[in-house]
Parts: sequence; C-alpha cells; structure tokens
Amino acid sequence: MTLHQTDLSNVRTSVERANGLPNAHYIDPAVFEEEKRALLFSQWAGLAVAADVPGPGDAVPMEFLGMPLLLIRDKDSQVRVFQNICRHRGMILVEEPRKIEGAIRCPYHSWCYSTKGKLVSTPHVGGPGHNTHEAIKRDDLGLVEVRSHIWRDVVWINVSGDAPAFGEAMADIMARWSEFDLPLYHGGHDSRITLEVATNWKLAVENYCESYHLPWVHPGLNSYSKLEDHYNIEKPGEFSGQGTKVYRQLTNENGQTFPDFEEVGAKWNERAEYIAVYPNVLLGVHRDHAFAIILEPRGPEKTVEHVHLYYSVPDSDEGLRMRNTQLWKTVFEEDIFVVEGMQKGRHANQFDGGRFSPVMDSPTHCFHHWVAGKIETHRARARAAE
Amino acid sequence: MSQGLEARLLAAHEGDDRFALVRLYTQAADIANDLDAECFFLTYAYIFALDAGAPEATVLHARLKAHGREE
Repeated sequence: MTLHQTDLSNVRTSVERANGLPNAHYIDPAVFEEEKRALLFSQWAGLAVAADVPGPGDAVPMEFLGMPLLLIRDKDSQVRVFQNICRHRGMILVEEPRKIEGAIRCPYHSWCYSTKGKLVSTPHVGGPGHNTHEAIKRDDLGLVEVRSHIWRDVVWINVSGDAPAFGEAMADIMARWSEFDLPLYHGGHDSRITLEVATNWKLAVENYCESYHLPWVHPGLNSYSKLEDHYNIEKPGEFSGQGTKVYRQLTNENGQTFPDFEEVGAKWNERAEYIAVYPNVLLGVHRDHAFAIILEPRGPEKTVEHVHLYYSVPDSDEGLRMRNTQLWKTVFEEDIFVVEGMQKGRHANQFDGGRFSPVMDSPTHCFHHWVAGKIETHRARARAAE
Repeated sequence: MSQGLEARLLAAHEGDDRFALVRLYTQAADIANDLDAECFFLTYAYIFALDAGAPEATVLHARLKAHGREE
C-alpha cells in the first residue's frame, strides 16, 4: 500500500510564513511509522540512561518503538544495547530486569551469550551431548548489537546504524556545553520521574523548547524568572531550546545549596539552559544540577517521559534532592494539560498546523523545519530505491 | 541415574537452584555408563554453570572440549 504523503512544503519556510506540521503527524499511525524510520531509527535517539544499569551484569529489557532491546552493562562495565532475542529461534532472552550472574541463557533451548554478546554455547546443537556443529559458526551468531553511545548519562542509539559518528553528529551541542563535561551523578530512586502522557512525542519537544508559555503555564516562575529573562537557542538541524539569565539556586531551611559542578565557571552563575536535542532527548543544565528527559514514543498519541535528575557529587543532600525533584515534577506536570490539549486539537480537521510567533516560537519552528527536512530526505531515499 | 539423584535434580529444577543443578548434573555425568551419556549430563552442568557464573564452568568446558563436544 502506498502511503498518502503529507504536504510539508509550508513547514520548511521562514518562521513568519510557516505553518506547523499537519495533523497527520500527530494522529495517523501510518505517518507515525514513517517518522519512526525518518526521525528516530535513522538518528541518535535517546533510549535510557546508563544509571538504569549501575553494576556489571545489570540488564534491563526494554522496547523502543516496538523493537525488543536489552540494555546491559557488561562484565567490564561497558554499557551496551542488544536486540533482546536469541539468534536461534528469535526467542526473547530477558523478560524482567535482573543481574546476569554469568551468561545470558535463552530460556528456550539454552543457547548462552556473554554480556558482551558473544555466543558461548549451543547445547545439543549437534545432537544430544554434542554442543557444536560445523553449520553453526558462533562467531557469526552473536547478539545483534545496536549502535550506542553514552553522553550526559543518556544512552543514545542509532538503530539504522548509518548515522554519522556520535561525536560528529553532536559536536555542536557538546561544544556549547563543554563546561559541563564533568562527572554526573544520578540522584537515585528519588530523582526519577515517569510521566505517561496522552500526546505525540513531538508536542513534548515543541513545548519544551520555547519559553513563550512559561508565564502562563508555570506562574510560579514569574516571581523571579520573567519572560524577558529568557533567550532562544537554535541550531538548525540539530537542537533548539531556551535559556534563562536569572537561575536561582534551590536552598533548604538552613540556606544550604547543592554543590556546584566544579570548574563550570562564573558564566553559569545565574544562567541555565534547556535544550531539546533532536529527536527525543530534552536536557537541562544548571550550575548545581542537571536533568535528562527521554521521550519514549509509545504510539501516535502516547508518550512516556522518563525524567532523571543529576548532581555534581554522589552524596548530595537527600532533603534538598527530594525538594528539587518535587519542584521539577510540579513544573513537568503543569505542562501535561498543554501537550494533551494540543494533541486533542490535532483531531480538528480544519487545523492547518498553526502559525508561529516569529519572535517567541522560533525554537519550535526550528524543530518542525528539522522534522520536515528529515521526512523529505527519507521519502526521497524511498523513491530512489523504487 | 539413581532414583535419589533424579529426585534431587527435579527438586533443584523446581527451586531453580542453579548451583545445585551444576553439582547434581556433574554427579550424573561422573556415574554415566558411556561417553554420550556423560557428555549429555556434562552439557547441562556446564550450561547451568555458565548461567550462574559458577567457577565450575571452566572445568566442565574443559571436559566437554576434551571429548570433542565443545569449542
């Protein structure tokens, strides 16, 4: 069946004239499938955080857009991502998060793999008690590894395997935040927030990367962080977001604050930045803490937001940490009615994608421009392959 | 295999006691009447040792390899 292709011509124009993406990009399963390949599999997308597998042998099965994956820290502490299936009969290898003590043993016929993915044993493959066969080349039958890279503790994956090297693809954002290239410590179980939201994942990106909505949706910020204190961040084709010039550190009843990331520099004393790294990772940096949000697209109209908070030291104050988690949880929950409301709005069949404030919405337009460009490239490749 | 050993093996399977499975399948291999039976039981012992990260895996692998049953 040939997909009816959406018209994106009016998305890739200047912010003054552009419309947003058509409704189908938020509600149509066929377009969701197209975007899965054009925007998520072909790029460096966020899957999880390395803190999900803190110790050697820790393994967590997960799904990424329907694909069963296994996040694992191997015996030498390297984080890896494999397709979570046995090379024999395609059986799911690991069903629940657990520590792999020795080998990953398939529960079906007990083929065994090392935590580095090497096929180490094939019991009875040549008949009872005969564990080898000339047709079964173990070196060719290791677990299928998905290209991955850890940056800011986020496990980024490139499913298609043909994106530019991570360091090349992310060079600009890494340079922008080079002062923050310091050890990050996950705050632990009290520093994780999971939000299930009835929205397309792109609306979460779009809302995150602009400051226009802040005074209306987050009135609590108005007392110290006014709209005019914010600035837009745009790197076409890579990322967009917003920054503030008046970040104020959280304090507890004794006036204590979180320790700073050492050597981060005076530039960041009152500055903080919030950037959506395309496609699906939302990052925030401050002098004393950071966060990463992985947007997990579960379907055209369902997204799970996995929020993780990080500090400069492994033993940050628990009370302050919990206060900070609550603060951010409130902010992120305040955004839910917005992204869910926009999602419902995408079912109004006369909606033309909307218009942008050329001044306030340009980070969102930057994202739409990227989306449209990637989809058009994807379509051109598909046509060339026909 | 004796009935007692078989019962202990079944109990170890029931309790998912992999270290006991390694020990009991090794015993079964040690008392097997022929090479095929020995390697059959050694295979189970080896696989459960691999699964559990048990140190016996090295010796069990060596036994199987010596018989041409492992790489």
